[in-house]
Amino acid sequence: MDDSLNSWFAREILVHEGALMRYLRRSWFRREEVHDLRQEIYVRVYEAAARSRPTQPKSFMFTTARHLMTDRLRRERVVSIEAVGDIDALNVSVDEVTPDRRLDAHQELKRLADAFDRLPDRCREVVWLRRVEQLSQKQVAARMGISEKTVEKQIAKGARLIAQYVHGDRHAHRHTRAGEQETAIELGHDQ
Amino acid sequence: MTSSREIEHIAASWLARRDGEHWNERDQRRLDAWLDASTAHRVAYVRLDAAWQQSGRLQALGAGWRAGGVPPRGSWATPHTGAPALAQPHPAATPRGWRAATRRRSWPHARLLAVAASLLVVVTLALAWHGYGAVEQASYRTAVGELREVQLADGSVATLSSDSRIRLTWSRRERHVDLEQGEAFFSVAKDRARPFVVSADARRVIAVGTRFAVRRDAADLRVVVTQGLVRLESDGRPDGPHQATTLLPAGSVAIASDGGVVVHSGTVQQAQEYLSWRNGFVSFHDTPLATAVAEFNRYNQRKIVIDDARVGAMRVGGNFRWSNTDAFVRLLTRGFPVKAAARGNTIVLSPR
Repeated sequence: MDDSLNSWFAREILVHEGALMRYLRRSWFRREEVHDLRQEIYVRVYEAAARSRPTQPKSFMFTTARHLMTDRLRRERVVSIEAVGDIDALNVSVDEVTPDRRLDAHQELKRLADAFDRLPDRCREVVWLRRVEQLSQKQVAARMGISEKTVEKQIAKGARLIAQYVHGDRHAHRHTRAGEQETAIELGHDQ
Repeated sequence: MTSSREIEHIAASWLARRDGEHWNERDQRRLDAWLDASTAHRVAYVRLDAAWQQSGRLQALGAGWRAGGVPPRGSWATPHTGAPALAQPHPAATPRGWRAATRRRSWPHARLLAVAASLLVVVTLALAWHGYGAVEQASYRTAVGELREVQLADGSVATLSSDSRIRLTWSRRERHVDLEQGEAFFSVAKDRARPFVVSADARRVIAVGTRFAVRRDAADLRVVVTQGLVRLESDGRPDGPHQATTLLPAGSVAIASDGGVVVHSGTVQQAQEYLSWRNGFVSFHDTPLATAVAEFNRYNQRKIVIDDARVGAMRVGGNFRWSNTDAFVRLLTRGFPVKAAARGNTIVLSPR
C-alpha cells in the first residue's frame, strides 16, 4: 500500500468529508445515492492523486464532485429542467459552499470525544477498553464476558461509526430530512 | 456490483480482524488482494483506518482516568477557547487578573531570597512500601537566576525555571510531580500504565507522553502545551465525582484561576514563546513595562522597581536575555523617557 498516498488522502481529502456530504445532500436529488457518490468521488480523487497530487486538494475534490454529478445527470436523461438548473448553481466557489475550515487540534479532539459518546453502549465500552485501556480483543472479551467474535464485530461497527462521526457527518439527520422534502417536490421523474 | 455500503462493511470487518490477535500472514495476503481488487475497496479501507487511528487519541481523554471502567458520556468538559483577552501569546495580552497576580507574586519572591541563596538543589530519595508498591520520592529546587534540567528515572526530563521547586512521588500507578513553587517544563516519556501528573494545590495536569510547562502564580496556574495533549483537572467543586476536565492540545496556553479556566489555542510556535526562558530569554510584545519587569524579577536577585505608574504603563517589546538586567535597563533609558538609579540591591526606574 502506498502509505504516503494514504496519509495524504486522509489529511487533505477525508478531513473535508463533512463539507462534501453537505454539498452532495444539497445538490443531489436522491439521498440514498449520496453514500455511493462519495465513494465514487473518493475513487476518482485517489486515482488522480496516485498519478500526481493535486495542488489544491479541496477544490479538486469539489470539482470532481461537480463533474461526477453532471456526468450522472447526462447519463440518466430523466431529470427535470429544475434539476439540471441546479447543476449550474453548483458552480459556486468552494469556499462559499464550505465555510468550515480545517479543524484545529482542539476541535478535533472535541469531535472525537463527541463521536465516542455517540457510540451505542456496548460498542462504546469495547472501543474504550481496546483503544484507551489497550486491552487485546481477547482481554476485552474476557473482561466483558462476551465472545471474541462479538468484540470483533463491535470494533468493526465502532470503526464505521467513528469514521462517520469524526469525518464530519455530525448533522446527518437534520440535513437529510430537509433535503428529502425539497427534492421530492423538484424531482421530475417523467419516464 | 457491490454497493458502497457493503464495501464499507467489508472494509470494517477487515480492519477489526486485523486489529485482533489471530491475524496472520495469510490474512494479510488476502486483505492485500482485496485492496488491490478495486480502488473503491482501498478508499473505503483507508477512510476507516484513518478514523480508527485517530481514535487512538482517545487515550488522551483516558489519561489518568481514576474511576476505572468506561467514563459516563459527556465527561469531557469543553474548555472556553479563543478568549479575546488571550489572543496574543504574551503577558501583555493576558487578562487583568492575571497581570495583577504576576505583580503580587514577585514580592514574596523577594522574601525568599535568603532561602534561595543557598543555590543548592536538594535531592532526597526515599524508598517506601506504600499502597500499590514501591514509592520513590525526590525533590528538586532552583535558586533565583538558576535553570536546571533534571533527568527523571522514567526517561522524562524536567526543566526547572528560576526559583522553583518540585517534589516527585513515583509509584507503580502514577508519576506524580508536585509543583510547589515557580515553573517547570516537562518532556514526558511515554508510559501508558503510569500517567504523568503535575499537581499544584487543587489542580492537576495529566499527560501520557507530551511536552508542557506548568507555572504557579499565586492562586493561578498556567499550563503551556507544546506537544501532544494534556488534561487539566480542578478539585474543590463538591458537585459530583467527575470534576470538569479541560483538554489541552499542543499550542494551548491555559490559565486556571478561581474564575475558571481560560484557554488560548494557538500554534505551537506561539506557545513556545512562553517557554523562551529555557533558552535564557524573555519575550515581550507590546507588554506593559510593569509586567515585563515582574518577569525579569523572576530570574534575578537584583530587582527592578518602578516608582511611577506612568512608567509601569509604557509598552515594551523584544527578546531579552533575562540574565542581563543591565542591558535591559540601558535600552530602556535610551529609548524611553526613563531614568534608572541603583538603590541597594535594586534598580529604580522613574520618569525623566
